[in-house]
Amino acid sequence: MEEQLKIDFEKLLEKSNFSKKNVEIKRKNFNNFIEKGFPNKREENWKFSDLNQIISKNIKNLSFYNDLSKPNKIDQSTFIAGLEHNKLIFVNGRIEKIEFDYEEKNNIEILDDLVLEKPNNANNSLLFLNNAFVSKFFKLIVKKNYSLKKPLVIYNITNKDLVSKSINLKFDILLEENSSLKLIEFSNDKSTTNFININYNFDVQKNSILKNYKIDNNSNSNIKYYFNNISQDTNSVSEIFLLSSGSEFIKNEINCNLNGKYSSAFVNGVFLLNGSKHHEIKTNINHLVENTKSYQLIKSVLEDESKAVYQGKIFVDSKAQKTDGYQLSKAILLNDNTEFNAKPELEIYADDVKCSHGSSSGSLNEDSIFYLMSRGLNYKEAKKLLINGFLLDVVEKITDSEIKNLIKNIMSLKQ
Amino acid sequence: MLKIKNLKADIDSKSILNNFNLEIKPGEVHAIMGPNGSGKSTLSNILSGKKGYKVSGEVLFENKNLFELETEERAHKGIFLAFQYPLEIPGVNTNIFLKTSLNAIRKANGEKELDAIEFLKLVKLKAKNLKFDEEKLNRQLNVGFSGGEKKKNEILQMSILNPKLSILDETDSGLDIDALKTVAAGVNSLRKNDNSFLIITHYQRLLDYIKPDYVHVLMNGKIIKSGGPELALELENKGYENFN
Repeated sequence: MEEQLKIDFEKLLEKSNFSKKNVEIKRKNFNNFIEKGFPNKREENWKFSDLNQIISKNIKNLSFYNDLSKPNKIDQSTFIAGLEHNKLIFVNGRIEKIEFDYEEKNNIEILDDLVLEKPNNANNSLLFLNNAFVSKFFKLIVKKNYSLKKPLVIYNITNKDLVSKSINLKFDILLEENSSLKLIEFSNDKSTTNFININYNFDVQKNSILKNYKIDNNSNSNIKYYFNNISQDTNSVSEIFLLSSGSEFIKNEINCNLNGKYSSAFVNGVFLLNGSKHHEIKTNINHLVENTKSYQLIKSVLEDESKAVYQGKIFVDSKAQKTDGYQLSKAILLNDNTEFNAKPELEIYADDVKCSHGSSSGSLNEDSIFYLMSRGLNYKEAKKLLINGFLLDVVEKITDSEIKNLIKNIMSLKQ
Repeated sequence: MLKIKNLKADIDSKSILNNFNLEIKPGEVHAIMGPNGSGKSTLSNILSGKKGYKVSGEVLFENKNLFELETEERAHKGIFLAFQYPLEIPGVNTNIFLKTSLNAIRKANGEKELDAIEFLKLVKLKAKNLKFDEEKLNRQLNVGFSGGEKKKNEILQMSILNPKLSILDETDSGLDIDALKTVAAGVNSLRKNDNSFLIITHYQRLLDYIKPDYVHVLMNGKIIKSGGPELALELENKGYENFN
């Protein structure tokens, strides 16, 4: 693979117009990646999901150069219906459309030629890979005191032309003071066996609100890694909801730094897996100052031989008194061959804090099924109603009612 | 309506019911009284089709072999069990559950399913009769309900589903006297010539409000004595231990 990486990297540099400085940084990142390679289970962070193995098992002849010179057709049928929204549309990793029809143009700004900086998390080889191969680095700025009138949907569409490629995308999103953004990331994949590596960096300034909904629901054979870094200033709120269901493998990593007093972070998610799918959510919520709050709730329904992993960490700095941290994961295993791994971690250096965690997994409660069946529901209906109820409570955490209903529809949940 | 002949039930090779016989005709109310561990709940579980028991003998419901029917098919045919410990089902709205249940049964019997408006009209009326707080119907099924509310909810379900045979498994336990009266009034209002009740209880108390036609004493897995309502009073005076 190393040979291929080198060829593809040189080809990228040759075909692109990167600045000298950018090339220099890219080279550094490239060399770092070559040195470290794809993460494997010997790394603590990856012990439940050996990416190196997963890639070599699922992807034959992975290549890293992706020709972005020609536009791709946008399949409009993949658009979210019944929701007015702004659009950023990527097809096979190429930006095809930027549309902010609902917004005041002077209050948002989009840059697409940012110069890379060194990744701050030097241990993450996938960020090196991303920095080395990303061709355009986007930045969205929401100006002070502006709230987007409609949600922004980032479409990540891949079509059947894309096979065994490594796609790298990178976004910086800055919410200036008193601003707010509802961001839906919506995947729709008809491609096969690609490795998609997406890096988000959110800077949520004073009194701002970020709502981020990540929807991956249609079945596909791609392997995906998302790294989300969130920095929060005083009195800011971040709310993340993940519907992790469609792709063969996904690892969503969320690193959230609560840097400002009274800031709070919410991470809620659902794993809905079947077949041989294997998904992971890894969170690091860092409470770094006084009076911050975090809440995490992850629910899983696993069928066939699927596997889900939740590694949730709450870190409380010695300065971070009055921290309120909570995390809970619950899994329903519908089959003996499914697997759920939970690794809750609390690392606390302050003494006046309120932190709790819990995790449970098991099969559907047979007594509950009997109760429902004694009222005339057959086994299938009883099971469906119980799973519906199990999942509803995490979806109900979504604070935007329009998007909540959209996600309920996508998951075919009934009230 | 219900004929039980020589019913034997084991769980984990422990005998619970043995040589159990009982016949209930349309319109009759039967009470089964017995001490803890006498097999009362096993009987109600077996009649409604709970798995995990090894059973032999014969149970006919309207001349159909009950053992050939799945739990939901028994519900479709008109058997209803009011649970001793109604389950809490998080995330399942009580109204939606009631409507799903009623329509599943109506559909199985070839009747037209009720739409939302028809259903709400029905459920409002029934809830009012039982003094059941309507607002609770919009909550998750039995979640955060008090013991009394859970039992009332069972009787509400019974009145909506209008079964032929209702089995009340210790419905009186955990009820205060006012709730007991309301529940009993609810049961009495459902008594008709063509539907029957099997009331399982420890105490005579409930039978002050629901007058049974027959009382049976269950001990060690079989009925040791049957009689009229006076048997319950005798039992209350003597206690189970001195009854033989």
